[in-house]
Amino acid sequence: MPSTQPMIEACGVQKWYPNGFHALRGVDLSVSKGEVVVIMGPSGSGKSTFIRTFNALEEFQEGSISVDGIVLSNDLRNIDAIRCDTGMVFQQFNLFPHLTVLENLSLAPVVVRKRRRSEVEAQAMALLERVGIAEQARKYPGQLSGGQQQRVAIARSLCMEPRILLFDEPTSALDPEMVGEVLEVMRNLAADGMTMVVVTHEMGFAREVAHRVVLMSEGQIVEEAPPETFFTNPQHERSRQFLAQIL
Amino acid sequence: MTALPPGSATTPPLRPASPAPPSVQRSWAGVLRQELFASRGDGLVSALLILLILASAVGLLRWAFGQAQWAVIQVNTTLFAVGRYPIEQQWRLWLLVVLVAALSGLSWGLLRAFPRADRSGELWPFNDRLAVALLGFLAAWLPAALALGFPLQVRWWAITGLLVAMRWIAGHWGRSWPPRLLKLVPLSWPLLYLLGMVLIAGGLGMSQVSPSNWGGLLLTLLMASFAILLSFPIGVVVALGRRSDLPLLRWSSVLYIEFIRGAPLITLLFLGQNILGYMLPGGWAPDRVWRAAWVLTFFCGAYLAEAVRAGLSAVPPGQLEAARSLGLSMPQALQRVVLPQALRIALPAAVGQFISLLQDTTLLSLIGLLDLLGTARTVMANPEFLGKNAEVYLTLAVLFWCCCAALGLGSRALERRLDPTHSPA
Repeated sequence: MPSTQPMIEACGVQKWYPNGFHALRGVDLSVSKGEVVVIMGPSGSGKSTFIRTFNALEEFQEGSISVDGIVLSNDLRNIDAIRCDTGMVFQQFNLFPHLTVLENLSLAPVVVRKRRRSEVEAQAMALLERVGIAEQARKYPGQLSGGQQQRVAIARSLCMEPRILLFDEPTSALDPEMVGEVLEVMRNLAADGMTMVVVTHEMGFAREVAHRVVLMSEGQIVEEAPPETFFTNPQHERSRQFLAQIL
Repeated sequence: MTALPPGSATTPPLRPASPAPPSVQRSWAGVLRQELFASRGDGLVSALLILLILASAVGLLRWAFGQAQWAVIQVNTTLFAVGRYPIEQQWRLWLLVVLVAALSGLSWGLLRAFPRADRSGELWPFNDRLAVALLGFLAAWLPAALALGFPLQVRWWAITGLLVAMRWIAGHWGRSWPPRLLKLVPLSWPLLYLLGMVLIAGGLGMSQVSPSNWGGLLLTLLMASFAILLSFPIGVVVALGRRSDLPLLRWSSVLYIEFIRGAPLITLLFLGQNILGYMLPGGWAPDRVWRAAWVLTFFCGAYLAEAVRAGLSAVPPGQLEAARSLGLSMPQALQRVVLPQALRIALPAAVGQFISLLQDTTLLSLIGLLDLLGTARTVMANPEFLGKNAEVYLTLAVLFWCCCAALGLGSRALERRLDPTHSPA
């Protein structure tokens, strides 16, 4: 069960894209340690933009965000500190194609944390074992299936020993038959007490794993509720429309 | 978190075992017939072309082995090789050739001893056996054909033998050498280049040899390698600058590229010879050879920057995002993630640029330097060798062809080694 210690605190976050599009219109969200929050919403609702502000992949103009007690400011040292503690898993995996699976995992710990390569590689092999693909360690990402690549990407994030994991539509680019293996890994992570913010359309995952479901629309949070309430008895008209469309 | 039970959630093998495709092998005669003599018209055109090619080949061979007088090359081998480099100092160049041969053999062997992580490499693939056979043939035939003295012939045999021996030793025992020693090998190439510069120009107690005495193949290779090596960092920096968010950096990069690309190389070479003396404070301007070298370098750098920029735009933005979100700083992300991919994509275009640079060094003869072409022109102007143009130009063409072929082959091997999607062969 999540504790009450906040890991992410976002207050009144506003973002405009350079072309003037108002992507986030005052979003508040608080995520506790060990909590799994699923963010849903139609495309263009700002959910990806929102979680990308947590590790400063997107800038925002107004409001404040603090991650694990560090306030996101323009100070580059703060940004680097937050990025080391915050893992991110992308829709397109974004594995480094010129490095083997093992090198993908060990690059950041060796370069950023200055740890010994031999020690990091042992940890990396253990992580690959956990996500079920240790036998692929010497292959290149291009030689793996989509589901295997996404599991490598999750292991790569874990290798930095993050305190928070952000997932940006991790199963949307996968063939349907490979979605299950990735969700299985995520389910196990949640059971281990990892703090996770997941942008996804996987109803089953949200219903079963999430502590809280957040619905975003047009740059704002429309509804925030435990999954059983959200899926059976949504309070807002917009939520009912959204659920009617995807169910 | 519990480990996944083996096999339960993993993806099934991408391709189940399936019967091999039906064999479509055809005989040589069949291929020839289909390609050259498919119809009556085809057959007529093919027959005419084959006759034409045969006739010119016979003509060339009859000239080369009958009429042509190769004495013009045999008498001037030293001139073509090193120009007017003083004879008593030429041991330095021999030493350099020995070192290059040894290090080449060593690196070649180690490349085979350490195949890529995802492959099991053959120690002596077909190409390598072919290359060794070719080297052996060249070592046996070329010194004799050039009518070199017997001691010189022996020297070339020894150098070739050294290269092959190093290839053999490193290939067979390289894996058991200490890793610290192995790390020195890539580093030794730039060191060898610096040492080569010292050996050629003088210093460290060796007497100076003025650049105006360098010539022939020595000058051509020196100019080309200098420009290739130094233009590479220039190209990368300018390409990064052109994509930078800082307007000053971006605009100065664009200005540099467009200025260089807007003028023919020969103009820039003359400009460099004439104007550098005014631009730099007294005594700072390098001498004529180095002026030309710097012009070549900056010229090649501008074109290379465009190749690298194309490579940079081909790397998906998600790569930089992934690297940054793992905590890598911008320089670390560029060095470890973006540039390795961008440079691999830019490699074919860059090598094309290098090949044309190597050929552009012949323009140096127009500003009065004695590169290969300049040397050839002085030889042909010698009354003793009047009318021997065909022999000289053919030799020159073959020499350039060999250098460019080596560059091309090397770059393709490098591409294959770096290509992460290339299926293991």
